[in-house]
Amino acid sequence: MDNTAVVESVETALTDVLEREVSGLTAEQRLFEDLHLDSTSVMEMLMFLEDRLGIVIDPETLDMDDFQTVGTLTAYLQRLLGAGE
Amino acid sequence: MTGRLGTLERIESALPDRTVVVEAMGKTLGLSRAKLSLFRKVHGLQTLRLDPGLSLVDLVLSAARGVVTGLADPLRVRYVIHARAIHQVAPAGTDIAREVRDALGLGHAEAFAVTQQNCASGLGAIEVAAALLAGGDPADRALVLTGEKPFCPQVQLVPNTAIMGEAAAACLVAAEGTGHPVLSLVSRTLGEYADLISLPAEEAARFGKAYAPTLADVIRQAVAEAGLSLGDIDLIIPHNVNLMSWRQTIAELDIPADRVFLDNIARYSHCFTSDVFVNYTTLRDDGRLAEGRHYLMAGVGAGATFSAAVLTYRGAR
Repeated sequence: MDNTAVVESVETALTDVLEREVSGLTAEQRLFEDLHLDSTSVMEMLMFLEDRLGIVIDPETLDMDDFQTVGTLTAYLQRLLGAGE
Repeated sequence: MTGRLGTLERIESALPDRTVVVEAMGKTLGLSRAKLSLFRKVHGLQTLRLDPGLSLVDLVLSAARGVVTGLADPLRVRYVIHARAIHQVAPAGTDIAREVRDALGLGHAEAFAVTQQNCASGLGAIEVAAALLAGGDPADRALVLTGEKPFCPQVQLVPNTAIMGEAAAACLVAAEGTGHPVLSLVSRTLGEYADLISLPAEEAARFGKAYAPTLADVIRQAVAEAGLSLGDIDLIIPHNVNLMSWRQTIAELDIPADRVFLDNIARYSHCFTSDVFVNYTTLRDDGRLAEGRHYLMAGVGAGATFSAAVLTYRGAR
């Protein structure tokens, strides 16, 4: 999937989870420090993306390094999307 | 806590028969698909026990009778303590602890509630009971009761954390005797989170970050104060807040996941202060507690109190 479309999906997910408009994300933005997510809201975002992108997420095998920045998150989602093809 | 910690002579629990699937709760609570998936897939919830037709008094009595019936000398029960998370559970003028006490025929006992440690109040009440009994007649007993009902949406849901179920438990505490001895009981309150579930987002995130390391630290302290090491604990008997919190705590403790009994999260979800006692009775009834081995009960109450108690199992009684 085109990376711009993945980032747009993340923006839609964060808008839903944070209950405020989230747009214009950049790869360098940090999920915890800049966007004020916590581990639970990261999981809720992943559940939203699972539904939207048709990926399968195993909560027991997550590596928190994948959720440092928008860039690492989209790279993680691209790996899952690639695995599903 | 130092000094005498008492023994736990009998523990029983009770759950309503009526089962509700978590998807139905999602509808009742107006949860989005993502939030429902969070509870189901990440937090591990499947079913809860909820019975709107069962009164709070009857719920608590169903567990209490399991302990009180057959007592050789009920007059030795000096205290009836209702430990609960929700401070106000009945109309003004109605005292649930007294109603339960009277229904049990223990009108001679002093009855009161313990609430300030929220979902950790059950272990807090054990500490209170042991303190009251210490130095008194060794034949005296205290009856610690738990059990409450999620009677309104604000109580049914801890946002993104738990959907509350119903259960009750009863625990007979003695100062000494042949019960399961409590070797240590550690409780730590982080008062900066006193706004309970109304914390501003940034504070809630800080609490989320502090949760697992603090709980792990309290568990380690309880084990150390019991004169044991983590390897000596056969099983951690936890509260049922959710799988995710326990995954993080297990990682902090660096122990195998099967050393924490998590099966009841899917069956019953988080039942306020009753979880550790319900889980104890499940394990006991399944024959998973071994005489002479050590177990650790752990719970967290919003507000936020982290508690852990180590006990030695003395066999079925």
